[in-house]
Amino acid sequence: MRGKAHLLPLLIWLAIPVCISTAVAQTGDVAVVINSDNPATKLSRTDLRKIFAGEKRSWPAGLPIRLFVRAPGTHERVMLLKLLGMTESEYKRYWTTQVLRGEAQAEPIALPSNGMQREAVVAYPGAIALVDAQDIKPGMKVVRVEGCMPGDDGYPLH
Amino acid sequence: MRYISWTAAVLFLFTGLSYPQDASPSDPDTIRQLVQQVKELQERVKVLESQHNHVDASDAPDKPSNPPTPQAEPVDQAASVPTASTPVVAQEFHELRGVQWRGFGEMDYKVLNQRTPELGTYGFVPGSSGNFYTGDFGLFLTSRLTAKVSVLSEIVFEEGDAQSYKVDLRRMLLKYDYNDHLKMSFGRYQTDIGYYNWAFRSAAWLQTTADRPLVMEFATNGGLLPTQAIGASVTGEIPSGGLNLNYVAEYGSGDTIRPDLNGDGLSTDENNGNQTNVGLFARPNALRGLQIGTSYYHDQISNDLLNGLTGAQVPSPPDSPGQSARYDQTIVNAYVVYLAHGLEFLNEGFLIRHSLIGGSSVFNTPAFYSQFSKQLGPVRPFFRYQYVNASPNNLIYNDVGLRYGPSFGARYDFNDYIAFKAQLDHTVRRGEPDLNGLQLQFAFAF
Repeated sequence: MRGKAHLLPLLIWLAIPVCISTAVAQTGDVAVVINSDNPATKLSRTDLRKIFAGEKRSWPAGLPIRLFVRAPGTHERVMLLKLLGMTESEYKRYWTTQVLRGEAQAEPIALPSNGMQREAVVAYPGAIALVDAQDIKPGMKVVRVEGCMPGDDGYPLH
Repeated sequence: MRYISWTAAVLFLFTGLSYPQDASPSDPDTIRQLVQQVKELQERVKVLESQHNHVDASDAPDKPSNPPTPQAEPVDQAASVPTASTPVVAQEFHELRGVQWRGFGEMDYKVLNQRTPELGTYGFVPGSSGNFYTGDFGLFLTSRLTAKVSVLSEIVFEEGDAQSYKVDLRRMLLKYDYNDHLKMSFGRYQTDIGYYNWAFRSAAWLQTTADRPLVMEFATNGGLLPTQAIGASVTGEIPSGGLNLNYVAEYGSGDTIRPDLNGDGLSTDENNGNQTNVGLFARPNALRGLQIGTSYYHDQISNDLLNGLTGAQVPSPPDSPGQSARYDQTIVNAYVVYLAHGLEFLNEGFLIRHSLIGGSSVFNTPAFYSQFSKQLGPVRPFFRYQYVNASPNNLIYNDVGLRYGPSFGARYDFNDYIAFKAQLDHTVRRGEPDLNGLQLQFAFAF
């Protein structure tokens, strides 16, 4: 009896860090969300990079893509820069270059909150945004990236 | 039993002590999430308040008796979804309907070791001991008319002689992007002969170097290629898997007048016929940053000589075919470009062929440039080598001759919008002394 009583708190103590680490792992994933009317269900990592680099500007059905990104300093922004392989400074220069070349109308709109990203995704049929997997809300359609959903093993935006 | 309780208490206390250590890195995240939630709630309150006010106003009993109030411009149906928050819609609405202004400019100082005048461009006075000039100052305007149609214009104020400025509508395009496979532009465009003209357009800030390679210089500044035209341009992706093949097709009128490079004060009115340019380029997924392309250009041109100042026609040399002669002009280009990991490696080659129509004279003018640079913090050292070889018997390019040599220097970026460049040039010229030059430049975009 005394041995079992020793085991219980020990197991709880061991279990807590595991739970914490699992929770942290979930917050690390960033979901790719689109308008719920958009028929797209999956994207490759290459497609995603091209979309957020402004190289791919329309969905397969011809609907113009509307980019929404998070403001600097956010988790989603860090993931965006990682996806593009750029620093924040390179990102700014890249979009200035794209605009002056005539390849883009303007730099993607940077939104300060995921709530605003949700509103934008709901409002614009061609919208796409990166949202922390924990902040996914009704009205956002999550697409698979390389066949994986956020939380899956091997999900690329982690 | 008391021992068990104490053990459990100690373990939990230890867990409690160790938990904050593990969790401390996530504290800022928690704060960030809380701040974010507060912001979202604030936005939600604003939306609810605005909706509430709207409902109050519409329900007000005295509203019909009030004078009609001006209505806001109707927004897209998509933008009027009830859940759309006001700030997003307002910003998007501006992006959708408003005019986007950008701009670029430069401030230069240049000095050459030869006093014998060559062509002066961008405000540089050849033959002087060195002088300041402002080059091109551009205003770049874009506006989206619908989701697929937009307008682009690039208005450039270019310095001429004695601080005079001329306005050049360098680009004016009505663009229609049907999808990624079909993007059309109508208006005045910069020809997509090769890579440089597409990548660097008009802004000095975009370029690593202080100036353009001679072969890619604007024709109005003595460059060899017809860099601009008025007509239609179509481009898009070709389904090609990981090869990422793209096409470009242009059809338009050039009507180029090119000042002679050698400082003889003459210009060549090429009276271009309608030009055709087709090209292909690939950006393979397997090697990000690599772009390989080729293009083929054709039109017919004249070699009418004009006085560079007055524009009056000058008699052709006695040994020339005369003013009415026309030449087939064919330009073949190929390039390999690599831009990744801070590296810039540009390599472009050209073969410009002039063939007298109704005659046997054929002249081939080969040209190329290679440029290499590497970003090292805010500094980007660069090296460029260029080569142009025009036959002395080619009356169209007899001012060009053989020119080749290296340029090297560095670009320093103060921030994301202002750069300083220093460049040294050494140019070998056939039949003329070598030309050494120093160019300093502040380039900016806004």
